[in-house]
Amino acid sequence: MPNFKLDDREIPFEPGETIIRAAQKAGIDIPHYCWHAGLSVAANCRMCLVEIMPPPGRPAMLLDVLSWDTEKQEYIPQKKPKLVPSCQQAAADGMVVKSQTSEHVDTARSAVQELLLLNHPVDCPICDQAGECRLQDYWLEHQGTKKRMRDEPIHKPKAVVFGPTIVYDAERCIVCTRCVRVSEELAKDPVLSVRERGNLNEIVVAPGRQLDHAYTLMTEYVCPVGALTSIDFRFKARVWFLRSARTVCTGCATGCNSFTDFDPRNQHAYRYRPRENLAVNKFWMCDDGMLDHRRIHEGRVLTARVRGEASTIPAALEKAVEVLSKATADSTAVVLSAEHSNEDNFALLLLAKALGFSAVYQSGRPAGPGDDILRHPDKNPNTTGIASLAKASGLKTFAEFVEAIRAGKASTVLALGSATPTGGGAAALSDVKNLVAFSTHEGPFAERARVLFPASSWAEADGTFVNAKGMSQESEKAITPQGDSKPAYRLIAELAAALGKPLGWKKLAELRALMAPPAERSAASESASLGAE
Amino acid sequence: MEPLDQELDEAELEMPTEPMLLNVGPAHPAMHGTVRCVMELSGEIIEHVDVQVGYLHRGFEKMCERGTWTQVFPYVDRCNYVSPMLNNVGFALACEKMLGITVPERCQWYRMILGELARMSDHLTCDGAMAMELGAFTPFLWMIKAREMIWDLMEEETGARLTHSFGRVGGMASPPTEHLKENARAVVAHILSVVEECEKLLLGNRIFLDRLEGVGIISQEDAVSLGWTGPCLRATGIPYDVRKAHPYLRYDEVEFDVPVGSASDCFDRFMVRLAEIRQSARIIEQSIQRLADSGPVNVDDPRIILPPKEEVYNTIEGTIQHFKIVMEGIKIPAGEVYSYTEGGNGELGFYLVSDGSGTPYRVRIRPPCFLITAGLERVITGQMMADVVPSFGSLNMIGGECDR
Repeated sequence: MPNFKLDDREIPFEPGETIIRAAQKAGIDIPHYCWHAGLSVAANCRMCLVEIMPPPGRPAMLLDVLSWDTEKQEYIPQKKPKLVPSCQQAAADGMVVKSQTSEHVDTARSAVQELLLLNHPVDCPICDQAGECRLQDYWLEHQGTKKRMRDEPIHKPKAVVFGPTIVYDAERCIVCTRCVRVSEELAKDPVLSVRERGNLNEIVVAPGRQLDHAYTLMTEYVCPVGALTSIDFRFKARVWFLRSARTVCTGCATGCNSFTDFDPRNQHAYRYRPRENLAVNKFWMCDDGMLDHRRIHEGRVLTARVRGEASTIPAALEKAVEVLSKATADSTAVVLSAEHSNEDNFALLLLAKALGFSAVYQSGRPAGPGDDILRHPDKNPNTTGIASLAKASGLKTFAEFVEAIRAGKASTVLALGSATPTGGGAAALSDVKNLVAFSTHEGPFAERARVLFPASSWAEADGTFVNAKGMSQESEKAITPQGDSKPAYRLIAELAAALGKPLGWKKLAELRALMAPPAERSAASESASLGAE
Repeated sequence: MEPLDQELDEAELEMPTEPMLLNVGPAHPAMHGTVRCVMELSGEIIEHVDVQVGYLHRGFEKMCERGTWTQVFPYVDRCNYVSPMLNNVGFALACEKMLGITVPERCQWYRMILGELARMSDHLTCDGAMAMELGAFTPFLWMIKAREMIWDLMEEETGARLTHSFGRVGGMASPPTEHLKENARAVVAHILSVVEECEKLLLGNRIFLDRLEGVGIISQEDAVSLGWTGPCLRATGIPYDVRKAHPYLRYDEVEFDVPVGSASDCFDRFMVRLAEIRQSARIIEQSIQRLADSGPVNVDDPRIILPPKEEVYNTIEGTIQHFKIVMEGIKIPAGEVYSYTEGGNGELGFYLVSDGSGTPYRVRIRPPCFLITAGLERVITGQMMADVVPSFGSLNMIGGECDR
């Protein structure tokens, strides 16, 4: 692999790669505003300027400049090397690049930063970006000087509503055009553009339009300053109080990698942020996914219920044992949920096996809109996961479950999950005499359950989800379980113990060891059968 | 009650010829602060003693690992709470050593003036309390009244009498007031007259002298091996003073002597402190002469020093500077440092570890009292029960500093 030298380090790069990207891969962050690895190069912020040394034996390209001499109180002519934007300059083998070690670069960055703050309003105390703002970080790292301009700053529109999700503040904007490029290149909807020039320029929405495509929150996410703010997150929390868990979005079968940002003091999740994974979501997430964090707190089942009356988990366990001990295998159905993690579903499968129930069906949320960017029509995070978990026991569809109810083959149902794929299914559930459900949210199962257990959501437990491409991804626990809820696999283990059929594991790690990656297991069984031949 | 370190059968205890176990403290008027002494008495002679500290432990070092570097100042105030300014300056110097910065000259003189005043307050309290505990109430009242003047001056300068939280990394919270020089001169003159009067009252008093002379002796070797520093070590005749041995601030530019004792008894410790008050007065006078009336007090580095409020409210640069320092803290480069100054009771050391973030990774204090209190056992073993009072008093254990 070819190399170039950045300050004192050798940086390897792939041919065609820019200096900034190669440096970023090597863990060096060259300061920048407008460049984003997932977008085209604009090279308009000039923050990433670096000095490239001339090849040996060649003169440096020098520019004549006038610089202010504070002692003489006049301008004196000087020469300075021409700096180049590292976001646009392709790296070349043997190139010598100076970033932190060049005084010209230092001066340039300080000047760029000072220029960007020239008309910036004193908004940090009321700005949602404060604490994760590039202007703040780079002022400390690259400028560190006081304001020199004595004039009144230029005033521009504030709190302009761009659409249902985004509010724009033109005074805070540095016009890096990242949002313009996200709309055009990611969402394929060029609804944003830049108006005017110089001091007066600002971002505007196309006349007669709103910023309302499916990826509007990505414009806010890429905004390096506080110009674009999300209506959802605006004034809700201060980012320095938030902690992040590495999670997987459960909004659809794509399984975008995300951060769940939560406040550990009140155990409340406030937002999702995309987590870079080039194999799944690259740098992005869709609006539906970004707003899906609301479901962590909205419409939750937080106490156990027996016949619709609030109860306790021990009382519900007692009732469930009474119901299930009378159940017979031919009139009992087990329903797995594509909303839940592999761990939850596998625990339920183990319980079904221990009790001798063999009819296994699946449920999940109804399908929704999809596109060829990120959104998958299947709105369940783990459809592929349960399909491979229950391959051996022959997973049947929800339609078959409805038929089984009608045929009287499912008078007792042991179900995981909250939603049903079709409206008709919800009605069919009314005919189930004994429904024991583990639900995270209100819905048909919670409504019609004879015994209902409050299961923790994806944000409150570790879990593995297999996306539509068959990639198994782990999601970390963010907040502690809300209300009386517990992770479904724990509730299932408690039920199994109450039934006198312990499932043979105590910790999550032991459950995962039993579960083992499906690929390994199938490979193992294949080789075993080959050996038998 | 915790088990005592002596295991005696009950039958044995009942025998009148056996040693008597006596528990003094942790809340007892003879104990400075909260400390417990379990004594084994034979008649009135202390045959063996077990000194137990830790009743004022507040987990201060652990608390430091939560906030920013600047937020440590209120905690160090509460270590040796009789001379908090010395702790403030000591901690600030440790952070500055890690950052590799030196505060402007004006600030150094200012720190020396306030620090020496704090040392005077420390010594006045210790000597006054010693006299009071031996029945001489008048010197105590006079000395505390003099200390009160120091605290009034501190209030004028810092806004707080006792816990100033006035030090800052890279400077002080505010510059000297207009009247510092005249106030300090007036206070010092008064203190010197009080010291003289108290000497007249006490040093001709047979009872007072008999209770101190030849009491609570410790050998030089023991004092050194225990890690004693400060007035208690100097009373043994070893002239170790951090200000002379390893000068910091501008102590190498002022003239002062290091008073030492010879007998290493309670009387020497009492006298060394009185003599140090006079030396502090010399240092203060010289510092006042060198203190400039104008000029910067804080280093000129936006990464370390908060901007003036006017700029915070009116310019974005000021707001950002304020925000970064307050919300994220001063970024001290990763590494570790041991920095030490002469506190009221001896070498006050700060061992700091930074991981490069705005929050301390570890703050370890070397409190002079802790090591001195460790020697209490050796000092009072073999003494009369009543000698515990002057002996313990002369060691000047400060619970807040010893137990942290």
